[in-house]
Amino acid sequence: MRSVYVLVTVCALLAIFGPMVAPHDPTVIDIPNRLRPPGGESLLGTDALGRDILSRLLHGARWSLGLAFVVSLLGLIIGTTIGLIAAQGGRVADWIAMRATDTFLAFPELIAAVVIAGVLGASTGSLIFALTVTGWMRYARVARGIGLSVSNRGYVIQARLAGLSPLAIARWHYLPSLLPSLTVVWTGMLARAILGISTLGFLGFGVQPPMPEWGTMLLDARIHMRSTPLQMIWPGLCVVISVLAINLAGDALRDALAEQDAKT
Amino acid sequence: MIVVFAGLLLRAVVVLTGAALATFALLWHAPGDPALAIAEARYGQNVSKEVLDFIRVEAGFEDGFWTAFWAWLAPLMQGDFGQSSVNGRDVWPDLVTAMSYTFPLALVSLALGLAVSLPLALIATRRPGSWLDRGAVALASIGVAIPAFWLGLLLILLFAVQLGWLPAMGAETTTHSILPAMTLGFGVAASLTRIIRSGILEARGQPFLPAFTRRGVARRDIARDHVAPHAAVPVVTVLGLELAFLLEGLVVVEVIFARPGLGSFLVNAIFARDFPRVQAVVLLAAVIFVVVNLAIDLIYRSLDPRVSGRDA
Repeated sequence: MRSVYVLVTVCALLAIFGPMVAPHDPTVIDIPNRLRPPGGESLLGTDALGRDILSRLLHGARWSLGLAFVVSLLGLIIGTTIGLIAAQGGRVADWIAMRATDTFLAFPELIAAVVIAGVLGASTGSLIFALTVTGWMRYARVARGIGLSVSNRGYVIQARLAGLSPLAIARWHYLPSLLPSLTVVWTGMLARAILGISTLGFLGFGVQPPMPEWGTMLLDARIHMRSTPLQMIWPGLCVVISVLAINLAGDALRDALAEQDAKT
Repeated sequence: MIVVFAGLLLRAVVVLTGAALATFALLWHAPGDPALAIAEARYGQNVSKEVLDFIRVEAGFEDGFWTAFWAWLAPLMQGDFGQSSVNGRDVWPDLVTAMSYTFPLALVSLALGLAVSLPLALIATRRPGSWLDRGAVALASIGVAIPAFWLGLLLILLFAVQLGWLPAMGAETTTHSILPAMTLGFGVAASLTRIIRSGILEARGQPFLPAFTRRGVARRDIARDHVAPHAAVPVVTVLGLELAFLLEGLVVVEVIFARPGLGSFLVNAIFARDFPRVQAVVLLAAVIFVVVNLAIDLIYRSLDPRVSGRDA
């Protein structure tokens, strides 16, 4: 299972340092050299506007993976806050928070994200907003569930009687017991966010050209499927490998936590 | 049971009202003048101010958010989805036509996914840890990581462009549905295989099973009477997620294969900024999703005696 963590680290390093090692500028148009096959000056060939595909993939890692990281982290913060408010804030707060969660869960997440991003106008800002608004509910459910089970423990009741503020109780007593489960949920949401960003990009509602995002690259490559089919392979492969790595790492993490639970 | 059902039903109504409100609020706050968008779509550029004012009154934009919301919701509850703001046609008949393309494809894909994943999971769990089991797990893990739109493109590339066996675009004949159904069915099969497999393995680990074996109950009887019902519970609980996954896949698959279903309907309506159509299809998706989840909840309660009657 070690190799999975190595793969995730490689993906993360590529997202951070990829643009620095890219051999060419990913947005420079070079029409005479368009649709070149792999080899020579550009290792994976060039796209319909003569841009170097390898450089676009490397820069794309920052968009596809970096944005997914931001979106899933925002969802984590919002969802955990709402879940903890539900668990700590009494019956009325709980009811409101949970019906709000149900309402947002009433739409298939990606469809809601497509509608929000599309209606607000395609831009990176609406993309982040769309995926965050549709991506916090699972954290809220998990945080509330664990929060409720913790709230009856002796040390939490004591802390409350000792006059600790709800914020301090959340920080010192809820968060430590939440963290393992939330991390597992987070890996799942990170993988979903990568798929969501590339899907929105492919539909034309995501990162806008000329920025190289993997889904947007597939949208461009699709038109030239007949002449240069390989162009369509690379961005998809990048999505699959990063999602697979994160999913497997999440599985490994969950198993490790279950083992730890079984020991104690 | 009746009390539980009524409670669930009430919750579904609250959730759907919230969903309608959220949808309307989003479109209300959309950038740009919606009246201008409608006018340009109907009458072309250079619209006079009188026409804009007329459209504002007609669509209820003048009277503020809640009046406009009610003006949309009241007819909706009688089944009137209003008219397209672009071509003025009734939304509902077009929606029905779109559904007639989407639902058969969804059902076939679901059936295909089940037909592959159930036997695969059963074979894989016969010997956990064997190469067959590992192969099934690996295939399923890769399967859930492949975005539907990329798989669709790859299938088009292979079967339509390179081999020329199957048509890629449109929905005229049954053969047009083969590639879309394969795309969606593969994704469903991959995630269901994972779920059914772990469901069976978990059920096998139940501590009461060795007692049956020692009493001499046949393996097949144990599998049918004790393992299968136990394994079914986790499978049923995630069916809702599976449905969401399927609906999301439908949107991209219909766009890729140029099928005139609900997904294409939605994407085209967003590009045309035809908000009555967008609202209609989003709300329809929410209704389908909530109703099916309600059904799943009820099935789950009847399957697992521990939760029936309890308000979970």
